Amino acid sequence: MKIQKLFQRTRFGIFLLFGVIVLCTSALCIYTVDTQLTAEYETNSQNIAKSIADSSVDILLNRNLATLQSMIDQFVEIQGIRYIYITSENGEYLAHTFVPGIPEEILASDHASTEPVERSIPGLGDFLEVGSPILAGVAGTVHVGMDQDEVALKIQRAIGQQVILICIFLVVGVLASIWLVNLAAKPLAELLAYAVNIADDKEPETTADDLLGRDDEVGDLARLFRHISGKAPDSGASGASPENVR
Amino acid sequence: MVSAQEMETGFEGATDDEIVLGMSAAFSGPSRGLGSELYRGAMAYFNHVNDNGGVAGRKITLKLYDDGYQPDPCVRNTMKLMLEDNVFLLFGYVGTPTVTRVLPLLKKFQDEQVYLFFPFTGAQPQREPPYGDFAFNLRASYRQETAGLVNNFLAAGKRRIGVFYQADAYGRSGWAGVRAALDRHGERLAGEATYRRGSRFTGSMREQVEILKSNSPDAVICIGSYAACAAFARDAVDRDLRVPIANLSFVGSENMLQLLSDLGEDVETYSRYLVNSQVVPSYEDTSIPAVREYRELMERYDPAVPEELVQESYSPFPQSFVSLEGFLDAKLMTEILRRLGGSPDRDGLEEAVFSVDNYDLGIGERVSFGPDRRQGLQTVYYTVVQEGRFVTLEDWQGWLS
Repeated sequence: MKIQKLFQRTRFGIFLLFGVIVLCTSALCIYTVDTQLTAEYETNSQNIAKSIADSSVDILLNRNLATLQSMIDQFVEIQGIRYIYITSENGEYLAHTFVPGIPEEILASDHASTEPVERSIPGLGDFLEVGSPILAGVAGTVHVGMDQDEVALKIQRAIGQQVILICIFLVVGVLASIWLVNLAAKPLAELLAYAVNIADDKEPETTADDLLGRDDEVGDLARLFRHISGKAPDSGASGASPENVR
Repeated sequence: MVSAQEMETGFEGATDDEIVLGMSAAFSGPSRGLGSELYRGAMAYFNHVNDNGGVAGRKITLKLYDDGYQPDPCVRNTMKLMLEDNVFLLFGYVGTPTVTRVLPLLKKFQDEQVYLFFPFTGAQPQREPPYGDFAFNLRASYRQETAGLVNNFLAAGKRRIGVFYQADAYGRSGWAGVRAALDRHGERLAGEATYRRGSRFTGSMREQVEILKSNSPDAVICIGSYAACAAFARDAVDRDLRVPIANLSFVGSENMLQLLSDLGEDVETYSRYLVNSQVVPSYEDTSIPAVREYRELMERYDPAVPEELVQESYSPFPQSFVSLEGFLDAKLMTEILRRLGGSPDRDGLEEAVFSVDNYDLGIGERVSFGPDRRQGLQTVYYTVVQEGRFVTLEDWQGWLS
């Protein structure tokens, strides 16, 4: 005989509790990872733009555009950075990484703006562009385009890994809870069977001795049932008297 | 590793028997023709010198590495040449994106006084501060080449000039030269299009052609390697952009023409619009003493790139502008090493270079170096294709009409 009904709610409660925990943790994780990684990529882009802007001053003043191009070519190898271009104070494109040409969307934009702006360039993708002024803007502006699709993919991967870990904890937790509940239910099922036998005036099964020998509440109940039924055991080792029932 | 004795005497890269020069160049990839031809030309002269007793009894040898015309391998090769192979000097590097990355390395190890001699690039970084002190150039600069092309186009009434260029330091260097030359005439670029370094002839340049075509240029100046520039010339003709297409010396004219010839169609169709600037005279002009010497030694030695560096098949040319440049580089290098005397030492290298004054290299133009003059030659030549080969262009107006 199984104790199904007594623990049904307990199992349901455990599932519900773990489910809520997993959902809340995942939501928080997604929000945190998304926010922090996006901010980190944006900050990195801004730092790169600033770094190029700071180190471009002498190069620009020396009109050494080959060195300037060489420098931005190295930065564009960094993951997530898709394009870099440098405009003069007059809006002329002094160096860039576009192939086969500068997109119309870029040509039409405000060359001196340093505010982060989201761009969608046909054939290239979606970008978050940040800018940094060179010599307070009087020598030009550096623009760095971050590939939002690539960043989103990286964020999704990071979130996916976290959620998978949380789900693994959920499954392990639920399985462990079920095992523990079943562990608790087993002596109760035996006690119930024992009580039914007593009520039916049948001979106790061999497990009765185990029940009566237990020093927990199940043992106490078994001994109480035995006492009530007036079938005290021959041996007093089990302590079948009411005063031995805690 | 450097022996203690070598460290004390400063004889790095030079023993009693030989002087070792380090070279990192493109021997693989779509620009392998440039490294191969430059090496062949240089070795034709070095072999001749070595067969005649070398320099003060020392043979000149080249320690070679392949960088595939890529900056990172070039930096690694240079580290090996300087720190492991301990070469006497660096010689005959190929390309702007490679050389511009190596220059900071030379500055970092400036106490070792390892100089870069005669790189195959006309870019400005190795001609100007802060790195100009670590390199010596023989060839004219891209600025001079682009200015010459622009001036000739403008003089012929071709005012709308577009630029097709490699998206890197080399392309930018040429782009800046064209822009500056136009600016001096109060003109602006008519349009521009780029391609990625490493593009092959089999790739399409139609997008680039369409971009430039939309700007209605009178002429296009290409700053690229031969595979990409040949592809552009092919697609320009195919897409009906039939305007003069100029290329700089770096393009490797014979390699470019070979690719267009390999199309199997009338090479005249694709080559009639080409005008290539050169930094050495025509190797067809046997009235020039150095050209006669070059042709004779190329025929005698016909140097081959070492097999361990050959990854893809390459058929060398009996003569080419690039190998002639390598030959002249080697000739001047030998003269500088001779001026170092019997105890070659890096400490005396700069002084030996500066002692080259009004030196006759055999091409008509004399060579001089000095603290403020780190480029030997200044002349730019122009060539067009006639009967399947590049010949000197004398009459721009006549050719453009």
